[in-house]
Amino acid sequence: MSETYLVNKLRDGSVLDHLRAGTALRALGALNLPPERTISVGIYLKSGRLERKDIIKIDSHQLTEEDAAKIALISPHATLSLIRNFKVVNKIELHPPLRFRGLIRCPNHACITRAESVRGSWLVMEREPVSVKCEYCDRTVPSDLFRFG
Amino acid sequence: MVSVSDFAGRDVITVNEFRRDEIVFLLDAAAQFEQVTGTLLAGRVIATLFFEPSTRTRLSFESAVGRLGGSCVGFAEAGVSSQAKGESLADTVRVVEGYSDLLLLRHPLEGAARLAAEVAQIPVVNCGDGAHQHPTQTFVDLYTMQRECGRIDGLHVVFAGDLRYGRAVHSLVSVLTLFNARITLVSPQFLRLPEEQRRTLETLGVEYREMESLEASLPEADVLYMTRVQRERFTDPTEYDKFKDAYTLDMSVLQNARDSLAILHPLPRVQEIAREVDVHPHAAYFRQAHYGVAVRKALMALILGHADKVLA
Ligand SMILES: [Zn+2]
Repeated sequence: MSETYLVNKLRDGSVLDHLRAGTALRALGALNLPPERTISVGIYLKSGRLERKDIIKIDSHQLTEEDAAKIALISPHATLSLIRNFKVVNKIELHPPLRFRGLIRCPNHACITRAESVRGSWLVMEREPVSVKCEYCDRTVPSDLFRFG
Repeated sequence: MVSVSDFAGRDVITVNEFRRDEIVFLLDAAAQFEQVTGTLLAGRVIATLFFEPSTRTRLSFESAVGRLGGSCVGFAEAGVSSQAKGESLADTVRVVEGYSDLLLLRHPLEGAARLAAEVAQIPVVNCGDGAHQHPTQTFVDLYTMQRECGRIDGLHVVFAGDLRYGRAVHSLVSVLTLFNARITLVSPQFLRLPEEQRRTLETLGVEYREMESLEASLPEADVLYMTRVQRERFTDPTEYDKFKDAYTLDMSVLQNARDSLAILHPLPRVQEIAREVDVHPHAAYFRQAHYGVAVRKALMALILGHADKVLA
């Protein structure tokens, strides 16, 4: 049932599955994608008896580690499968790290990272949903306020 | 056991990176440094990079350096600094660290001191980074309580005024949780302690209460920490006008307090403490400013590795 929306199986590409229901569009916005790729997005698909999930399928493009790290922040427990020649060559479950650099911009306009060319440094405070703390200004940021890039 | 070696070469960026026993050690050291003058820091150069003016903090540090025979280089506001020519903070730090043994940094942006400490090979002391932290102010506040009340443990401390934007209040409240203090927060609704801070108090199981009446808060208090409502923190001037006179401590309000109540204020004050209170034997705010020199002497001597010559 859940996958009837899918146009066809990917020959080469990337599948983000088990995204927390309702996060697919934010996840899509965070990814670094080349132009003119076929992308299928499923939102609020049935997954099991009571659960719902989102799915993103990207044709002819392999997502990077940086993309995976961003998705782990938006939707912990999502899976990333890389597909080559109809075969899953790598499948990983995504988890936020304890600490990371870069990826998101501090929303605090008075933070030094907004003025100097320095990458942000983040401590993960809560894991589901994710919230992080800027190690420069100590501002806590919930995942719905993440600005990637 | 804490020893002088725990402080040698150390950066001082936030109060939260100090354990209780380290703070106690520093305050003990400050007591021993109170009367010390001489040549302990002879030949040492301290850089004061003040990207925004803070005359009181800068003079206190410069006095401490001078009392110990060291010297200062630096600037007192961004207009005369390299920043006015567009130089980055990181580059300024890299240049000035070659001229000095210790960097004292005041900057309008939050996290500036942490960035400076990452860049610099020499120790950095945060002298205020925007609304974020001003750790030596907190140490001075604690030292004042120790000096005026003979202890910090178990004190009942009332904070009054702007608890929302008051950086000194946020730091002091969070450190007092290490000392089993009882905390009373007095402010108008609009200027309440931020939710994140209140939640931290609750998580730590710290006994605290919130009130709007200064008079009603005083009968059981050991310390009153008054703050100024800071115009520069408000984007809307009519909001500032509404709250700037929220509390005024005068002799009639003090009728509600114990005679031994110690009155602290990070200064400068505007109208929140009436001039008549200045002669109160426990009006400690000018002494509080003076204690700052002792605390900063001890801290700098510890960081630069010279304190063992004084400490028993
Ligand atoms: Zn920040």
